[in-house]
Amino acid sequence: MLKTIYQRLTSLNLGLWLLTFLMVALALGSFSPGGGENSRINDLPLLIWLRHAPLSYSWWLWLAVALMAVLALNAILCSIEALRKKGRSIAPHLMHLGFLLIAVAHLVSASGGMKDVLQVGEGTVIGFPDREPVRVEKISGETDQSGMPISYRAELRFANGEVGTTSPNHPFFHKGFGIYVKQVDLGPMPMALMEIHREPGALPALAGGLLFTVGNLMLLAQRRKRE
Amino acid sequence: MKWLLMLSAGLYLVSCRRIVFAAATACELAYLAGRGLALGRLPLIGPQDTLAFLACSVGLMALPFIFSRQLKDDNVFCWSCGGLAALFSLLALPFPTLNMPLPPVLDTMWFELHVALAFFSYALFGVAALLGGFFLSRGSRYLLDLQYRAALVGYSFFSFSMVSGGIWGYYAWGTYWLWTPKELWTSILWLFYSMYLHLRIKGQEWDRMFACLGIVGFLISIFTYLGVSMLMRSSHSF
Repeated sequence: MLKTIYQRLTSLNLGLWLLTFLMVALALGSFSPGGGENSRINDLPLLIWLRHAPLSYSWWLWLAVALMAVLALNAILCSIEALRKKGRSIAPHLMHLGFLLIAVAHLVSASGGMKDVLQVGEGTVIGFPDREPVRVEKISGETDQSGMPISYRAELRFANGEVGTTSPNHPFFHKGFGIYVKQVDLGPMPMALMEIHREPGALPALAGGLLFTVGNLMLLAQRRKRE
Repeated sequence: MKWLLMLSAGLYLVSCRRIVFAAATACELAYLAGRGLALGRLPLIGPQDTLAFLACSVGLMALPFIFSRQLKDDNVFCWSCGGLAALFSLLALPFPTLNMPLPPVLDTMWFELHVALAFFSYALFGVAALLGGFFLSRGSRYLLDLQYRAALVGYSFFSFSMVSGGIWGYYAWGTYWLWTPKELWTSILWLFYSMYLHLRIKGQEWDRMFACLGIVGFLISIFTYLGVSMLMRSSHSF
């Protein structure tokens, strides 16, 4: 019986069905209120959102997580089975490994991620997540002739005297947190909308993405050679 | 400048010969190059620029297939690729051009890489869909092999696009992932082509299903690009 279960778990058919059901769950989720941007799904770590959101909002995500768990097991067992046989390329398995790392990254971020939104002016002291006071020294930017901002930034001073600047696409990283400036209002009293993020899954996600890319490039090179 | 876009659409519509198709692609490239020089960036903002970019991508990605050993005398396939590129060029025409400077959050090479690679992959999925249609009507197996190649390269571009999008998202928004309809449909598209490529292992009795799925995949691509932006509320749209 155990052998039958193992064979089922390593089968390609199972992988194909899981992918199909996962797609259906995500598609239904994209139309449900829980998948839209009006829900708080992006404001909280995913596991906290899942615990508190009504099941009518979150059912599709619970289903997707369950399907993903079985799909991950299927990918691991398929790779193990394929690598047991000699002469097989490792490229698809590097891609599997990359995919699994990205799935783990999501899990890490879902449990340990953090996001804080703040509206600040010059001189505002932000309470950093570890209670360190961070002072917003200056908010500045440039606009084009139509008044549209073409660049902006906020200068920060930390308790230890360290200074830093955050601007779009150039967040300032401090103690594992990223400080982002999202919008500025350059009126007589400059104001900025800032966010503090912790994304512990970012590094494993990047590693997974790179592994997947390496496997993908190897696969393309092998196919090209074969032809 | 818009005349170049119209000229390329016209040439694509009559591109029974490879040389006409190449000329149409050259016109589309010239149009985009002109836009790029005028703006000082890749023209990737707004429906007109993105649709023209997609049409040009179809032209560029179809060229290796049109000039391939197996399809070099196939004028119908050449014209079909032209028809697909013309469709996106014609769709681009009614929209106004957005000549504003790039919003600061989009002013990074990761954004440009993310979007350009996504359009290259959509274009290859389109070529794969056409090859699938031709296989279903003619039954020649080399068409299915070419479909697989187009989809595999498209899937690779799409995966690189998702990685670069994640890097951009992390630096721009503080997270490499947001639960928005666009991202959900992007994942669906990636999962779909993962399934499609795995289906190849099942052997020749699945050939017709494989060809059909190549067509369905392109419909999902178009929904991910246009449908989500037009029908669903998402900050992640053109």
